[in-house]
Amino acid sequence: MADGLRFEGRRVTVEPGDTVASALYRADVRTFTRSLKYHRRRGLWCVTGDCPNCMVNVDGDPGVRACMTDARDGQVVVRESGWPSAERDLLHVTDRLHRFLPVGFYSKTFIRPRFVWGLAERAIRRATGVGHLPIGRPASARPARALHVDLLVVGGGVAGLAAAAEAAAAGSRVVLVEERRLGATAWDARVRERIQTLAAEARAAGAEILEHHTAVGLYEGPFVPVVGPAEVLHVEAGRVVAATGAVEAHAVFPGNDLPGVFLARGAALLSIRHGVAPGRRAVVVATTDEGRASAAALRSAGMEVLIHDGPVIAAEGNGRILAVTLGTPSGRERITCDTLVLSLGWAPRDALLRMGTDQEVAGAGDVAIPGCSLEEAEASGRRAANGHDEAPSDVPTVPVGDEGYVCLCEDVSLHDLQQAWDEGWRSSEILKRYTTATMGPCQGAVCGRLLAAFAGARADAVATAGARTTSRPPARPLVLEDLAAGVDEMIEQRTSLHDRHLGLGARMERSGSWSRPTTFDAIDEEIRAVRHRAGLMDVGTLGKFLVAGRDAAELLDRVFPIRVRDLGPGRSRYLVALDEAGYVIDDGLLAALDHGRFYLCTTSGRAPAMEAWLRDWIDRWGLHVHLLDQTAQLGAILVAGPKARAILGRLTGDDVSAEALPHMRHADITVADVPCRAVRVGFVGEVGYELHHDRSRGPALYDALLEAGQVEGAQPFGLGALDVLRLEKAHLYLGQDTLPDDHPAKLGLEWAVAMDKPDFIGKRALERMGALPLERTLVGLRIDGEPRRGVPLLVGGRVVGRVTSCARSEAARGTIALGWVRAVDGSFPTELIAGHAVATVVPTPFYDPEGARLRV
Amino acid sequence: MFEIRRTLVGVVTASAGAGALDGLVVPGRAFGCRTADDELMLLSVPQVTDEVVREVSTRLATLDPDALVIDTTDGWAAITVAGGGARSSFGLLSRLELPDAGFTQGEVVHVPAKVIADDEQVLILAPSMWEAHLLDRVTKALGATGRLETREWRVPTP
Amino acid sequence: MSLLVPCPRCGLRPQEEFTFGGELRALPSPDVEDFARVYLRENAPGPQRERWYHASGCRRWVTLTRDTVTNRIEPGVTPSGG
Repeated sequence: MADGLRFEGRRVTVEPGDTVASALYRADVRTFTRSLKYHRRRGLWCVTGDCPNCMVNVDGDPGVRACMTDARDGQVVVRESGWPSAERDLLHVTDRLHRFLPVGFYSKTFIRPRFVWGLAERAIRRATGVGHLPIGRPASARPARALHVDLLVVGGGVAGLAAAAEAAAAGSRVVLVEERRLGATAWDARVRERIQTLAAEARAAGAEILEHHTAVGLYEGPFVPVVGPAEVLHVEAGRVVAATGAVEAHAVFPGNDLPGVFLARGAALLSIRHGVAPGRRAVVVATTDEGRASAAALRSAGMEVLIHDGPVIAAEGNGRILAVTLGTPSGRERITCDTLVLSLGWAPRDALLRMGTDQEVAGAGDVAIPGCSLEEAEASGRRAANGHDEAPSDVPTVPVGDEGYVCLCEDVSLHDLQQAWDEGWRSSEILKRYTTATMGPCQGAVCGRLLAAFAGARADAVATAGARTTSRPPARPLVLEDLAAGVDEMIEQRTSLHDRHLGLGARMERSGSWSRPTTFDAIDEEIRAVRHRAGLMDVGTLGKFLVAGRDAAELLDRVFPIRVRDLGPGRSRYLVALDEAGYVIDDGLLAALDHGRFYLCTTSGRAPAMEAWLRDWIDRWGLHVHLLDQTAQLGAILVAGPKARAILGRLTGDDVSAEALPHMRHADITVADVPCRAVRVGFVGEVGYELHHDRSRGPALYDALLEAGQVEGAQPFGLGALDVLRLEKAHLYLGQDTLPDDHPAKLGLEWAVAMDKPDFIGKRALERMGALPLERTLVGLRIDGEPRRGVPLLVGGRVVGRVTSCARSEAARGTIALGWVRAVDGSFPTELIAGHAVATVVPTPFYDPEGARLRV
Repeated sequence: MFEIRRTLVGVVTASAGAGALDGLVVPGRAFGCRTADDELMLLSVPQVTDEVVREVSTRLATLDPDALVIDTTDGWAAITVAGGGARSSFGLLSRLELPDAGFTQGEVVHVPAKVIADDEQVLILAPSMWEAHLLDRVTKALGATGRLETREWRVPTP
Repeated sequence: MSLLVPCPRCGLRPQEEFTFGGELRALPSPDVEDFARVYLRENAPGPQRERWYHASGCRRWVTLTRDTVTNRIEPGVTPSGG
């Protein structure tokens, strides 16, 4: 491996301790980016990760802050703004066209003719942006780890480490997170020494210090997501101490964004820590002690330094600063220089603090007392550990000149803000949204106060108009993998027959959260098997509940619109479940067991909702009911077809004849040595036995049924065949054939509702709706064309309905469908157009309308 | 370092009035988890669930004649993470805070689960329709490879 | 969104563990006007009595008070203790 990193075709030396920024600067790179809109040259400015100026592409990752990234041999670094290059950027012409591209111009121009916006938008997108996504790179999963701590300290400076040491010594479980290496942004040797000592004290007391971990937000709890190199931590803290420090204040004057303008801490870091002089001749404008100290440090590093304590009027230069005009008591003075260093005040990094206004979050150090001394910072940290909440100091804003860039990230100048204000956008929040100021990578860290001060200072502004805009996560840029850490999309539910299905060659599909077989071989064959011989289907996904206790019958009678009291043991009834508005929320079956217990079956996927629904009523009515969700505990296999009884007969000694076990009855039997609750059902329109059994016995039962069924020509079948079989009987699929405001009358299910019962949930709603004419109904259709589900139904060119289920049916000899239609002029149409075909309303079921097949 | 094992646990669910469950003395062969005011889950080795059902039914009959006691073993799938790192690695599976010893319930690997922890191991139970999901996600999150051993659960010594 | 809900049995939990049951409404009864009870909601700013179901935990309902403006929740109890 050759020495150095690779930068746009050149080799750049990497000295020990270098960041990408310091290594490039030493190699005479001065322009790091081109600004977002106007493509102005931008160079190192804060050098502490607070501004967007140094964002480059490192090893394929776009938007990496060069000043925050350790330089390594072999790194590949490329600048990503400017076309064709950052040095020679033809799009710089937009800066000259500033007049024609006022703030918000894309909301006002390129609107007519309409096609122009398409072209303009593409051009604008290509010209802006901070980098190129590594689209070819495969996404990698980042694990999330939950961490429970008493105190989370954010920031590994003097204040944060003091807080961690203090709290750990008192016995708290403490974790401190620091986004760099400890001491990386300290240029003063005294500060670095203190950091090392405090870190040792904290560790000795039991605090855990995590370097290269960045806190990105603060949520209720407090809950703080922290992004580390290998995983994302989800920290639940009893308290949080934010010791995130402060960045020097941004000053607004003409030329304030020229390369060569530095914040004092940045200049000192570059010069003292990395041994790279920012320039040869510097003017240091400092009103703070630290600013003056950094001037002395720059001088002792060999730079020619002029110190000024007063305002900056303007900076001039062409792509690089050449001179600065300062305000003096006697007027103005213009001084040539190649570096301008500013320390005019502080902007506390209070993004996290401000997210935690309602939480147990305290500030310590610079963020609470900007510009405090080393000793004050440490004391403040120890106070914060002991529960003291520092009231943030009032931070005086730096006076603003006549012109200059306010938001560096989004290229919003003072002139732009004034123009927006003149147009009528008159508060910090609305100015933010209109001009996009504070919406860039720095999220207002640099310019937030200036935006608020701008709005607040305007003579006609209302009091709240000058408030700081709301601080929201993330506080630092995130990659999508960080956001996705810990998310699980593909949670799959399986029956105990899952592996058997795979062994039989089933093609599986996701049906809600369940994995279910679509088909084992050919859907048409499976349909024929069920109609002429027998089919076996895994219906273990059904919702199943045991309802017991002295008020069980009372609960079911009050909640469901069916007569429960006359359901004797051994009998079952089709059940439609209604909500209080009378709308259908589920359907299934209620079977009466012995001893006043009931067995309730619901559609697959709705068991959790049914459990919540019933528990709500049990709770509100104070009933004594035992409700046990047995959906997972029990499997169920359907044996259906003319030969179903014969197959069962081979495997059981119990009487499963038509007399002993007729339609809509159930009995406890033993099949192939497996105890089962056999429920006679007719969902597919043939004699059917649903065998409900303990989940663990499922595979053995299935094997026995398959083997016994072979002689009779039985086949396993899946959802593909089920769809057609049930459609031939016009049995609905909830959610597919039903709409959320379907009540039983609209679905032809009045027969399932006992309106003569004194009361049930939804009865009054049904009475109200029953007095109104029916405006929509579900109908059966024959279509003389290709089956297409979802196609609208038309009468006279107007849409009056939709096809909800559709299939070609051999048994019904043609294409059959279910669909809903609206009443037209008081009656329901019988001839409609579905796509290019004619759809005729016909009576249902399409197959065996008398139900004779079930009474065999 | 830790090991992960698929675990066979017997589960009995008792549903009765809060007062009755408060007064119930759990049989020695079972470990009780009070999942709700009116619900108690009793864990044991799988072979003795019949006895647990009988004993608990008998004891509850005097306290609440309407009580329901049912073997629900097939409704649950279980996995154990054992060893020194078991507790500290739980954060990779769930946002739940582990009790020092005893039972808690909430989301683990994104499914509703019951958790029994002591200083050496963590037992996680989830409804059995999520068995494949539970085994897969726990092993992946903890970086384990290879086939899982299956072992019977043992009632923790008090 | 981030919200912690206090379950009386299980403690303070993230709202993702719950199903929201909406405003507490009167029980159906001959004395209560049914149309308003079923279709209309107060939806007022300020403290609201509401129902939450701890789906991932104890699977029981709790009634509590949440301020719809500040989102602060006061702990509640399950009316019938189960």
